[in-house]
Amino acid sequence: MRFGFGSRLRHLRLQQVLAIAAVATAVALPVVLISVGSGVSAHELSSLENAGYQIVVSAAGVHGIADAHNLSERILGLASVTAASPVLSVTIDAFPAGGGSTPVLAEGVVPDEFTPTLGPAEKGLFPDPLPLGDPSDATHFANGTYTGPATDDVLVSSPLADAKGIVNGSKLWLGPTANESGAVEYNVTGTFGVPPTALGPTGVFAIVLPLSNLQVMSGVAAGANASVNDGADTIEVAVSGPAATNQTALEHVRREVQQLVPYYEVSSLDSEAQQLQAASGVLIGFYLALSSVALTVGLLFLALVLVRRVESDRRSIGIRRALGLPRRWIAREIVADGLLLASLGGVLGVVGGYLIVRALATWASADVQLAAQWAIFDPGTLVAIVLGVLALALLASGVATRAALRIEITEALR
Amino acid sequence: MNRPAAPAIELARVSRTYRAGRPEAVPALREVDWTIPAGEFVSVEGPSGCGKTTLLNLIGLLDAPTSGEIRWDGVPVGSRTDRERARLRLEGVGFVFQRFYLLPTLTARENVELPMRAARVPRGERTRRAADLLAEVGLRGKEATFPHQLSGGEEQRVAVARALANRPGLLLADEPTGELDTTNAGAILALLERVRADRDATLVLVTHNPEVARRARRHVTMQDGRISSDVREA
Repeated sequence: MRFGFGSRLRHLRLQQVLAIAAVATAVALPVVLISVGSGVSAHELSSLENAGYQIVVSAAGVHGIADAHNLSERILGLASVTAASPVLSVTIDAFPAGGGSTPVLAEGVVPDEFTPTLGPAEKGLFPDPLPLGDPSDATHFANGTYTGPATDDVLVSSPLADAKGIVNGSKLWLGPTANESGAVEYNVTGTFGVPPTALGPTGVFAIVLPLSNLQVMSGVAAGANASVNDGADTIEVAVSGPAATNQTALEHVRREVQQLVPYYEVSSLDSEAQQLQAASGVLIGFYLALSSVALTVGLLFLALVLVRRVESDRRSIGIRRALGLPRRWIAREIVADGLLLASLGGVLGVVGGYLIVRALATWASADVQLAAQWAIFDPGTLVAIVLGVLALALLASGVATRAALRIEITEALR
Repeated sequence: MNRPAAPAIELARVSRTYRAGRPEAVPALREVDWTIPAGEFVSVEGPSGCGKTTLLNLIGLLDAPTSGEIRWDGVPVGSRTDRERARLRLEGVGFVFQRFYLLPTLTARENVELPMRAARVPRGERTRRAADLLAEVGLRGKEATFPHQLSGGEEQRVAVARALANRPGLLLADEPTGELDTTNAGAILALLERVRADRDATLVLVTHNPEVARRARRHVTMQDGRISSDVREA
């Protein structure tokens, strides 16, 4: 124990260095978890808020929405609605010209409705207009008879095109199973980029084709054998005017859509954003709980080191008390030691946590890299973590101080 | 800060027993009655375990009696709070121990300044006073030296300087020459005698060495926790 801060630093012992390391480790964990967790949540929230559509119609079960073309038309008829895009997502098999097969995520869309529901970040990834031949998908759909001529055009994702050597004008055979004999020949008329995502499927190997084509291929078109007639997974609804910016107006439109489809779930992205925020809050709470366990272990270690130091400094404490130094001096020195160790550990932990996140963003697997790149280092949160550590360090110092003040002077000087 | 006057100390039927893990209490001091007038130089002699150090600890308020009463200038100190006793030790008592008990992480100057810091002596005043005290004990130029860099005699000189830092009226020395060679022992005793006389302080010196004890004006001998003789020179 010395007079000043600098003197204390010069007299760090191995146990104290280990205590600093323990606190630093305990702090680095919440820094990594909370910065990455809140970064991913914020990114997903931003994606949701920047989507080109504001309302989603969905149904439980596989391809739960029936009569999707007709329903979309009726929703489009509502005031404020600028696009109603039915989307069917199915995993099918693709057979490139070079041979072999690969499973791909296929999205069936109505081209003219799909494009307006793309967000600003997605718009640049897709050609505009979508070169799928039948902009309204009405020709092949033919009022639900599926008797019109199909364009058989398809767009492929850039990763799939790069991996399989597919270019504009290539032929690609698509079928519902890995059996190539059931596959249909398609013309590749363009490619699209894949936005990065850390939550949910990445859809790296994906294709986009007219909705009616995919409905026929996946058995949700029409007829006795169809599980659902004119099936889709969702209908994404874009709005304009006050509903695009005002939550009350949007809620009004949502209710109008709900009246059209009372048997399906109709939700606004606002409410989904709120749900996501709530889920993020739960997740951050879980991280904090996990972190508090780490911090408690780190601070218990600190308390142990401080108590051991008091034991090894028994004589020194006895001398101080014999000289008449007040108890608060002894307490102040122990608390200063505890706070110094915790502060050093806290700062090292914050720096260490930052460096770990940077390392993850550089050297981890692709998904983790992406999540680490989105990490948010909120100064308020970091300060709160360090202040929390200092508060716990005060408790740890209190334990050591109590032990120090119970030392009998005459015993200590023997 | 004004120097506190040397207190007159009275012990009335003071006993101290220790238990310290033993099943039966061990008496270290048995109903001692004793008075030390202010400004006296007293030696306390006796064999090991006779209660000399216990007596010194009680006088210096490092310990409390099991029974009986200790008075400073007629005021009982046993009922004082721990904080008040610490304050009395800080400002009224200077301790010199056999094993010096300097703080190893502090320099000689910092060791001497420590009691003054606790007594809130202003920085400039305590720096000047520490330099003067170290010069007085013959350690000019050793202010920035750590205890492990000093000889035993030099360490004890620093301890004496520290004991004098707050200008106490009562100096308590427990075997101050016990770990020193003859030359250094003589120098330390001469130093203690001189500072006692200069400051008109009370000096109680515990020793088992008759040669050392002879330097005092009053000689107390202890045996089995009791004062067996108390002789004052004419």
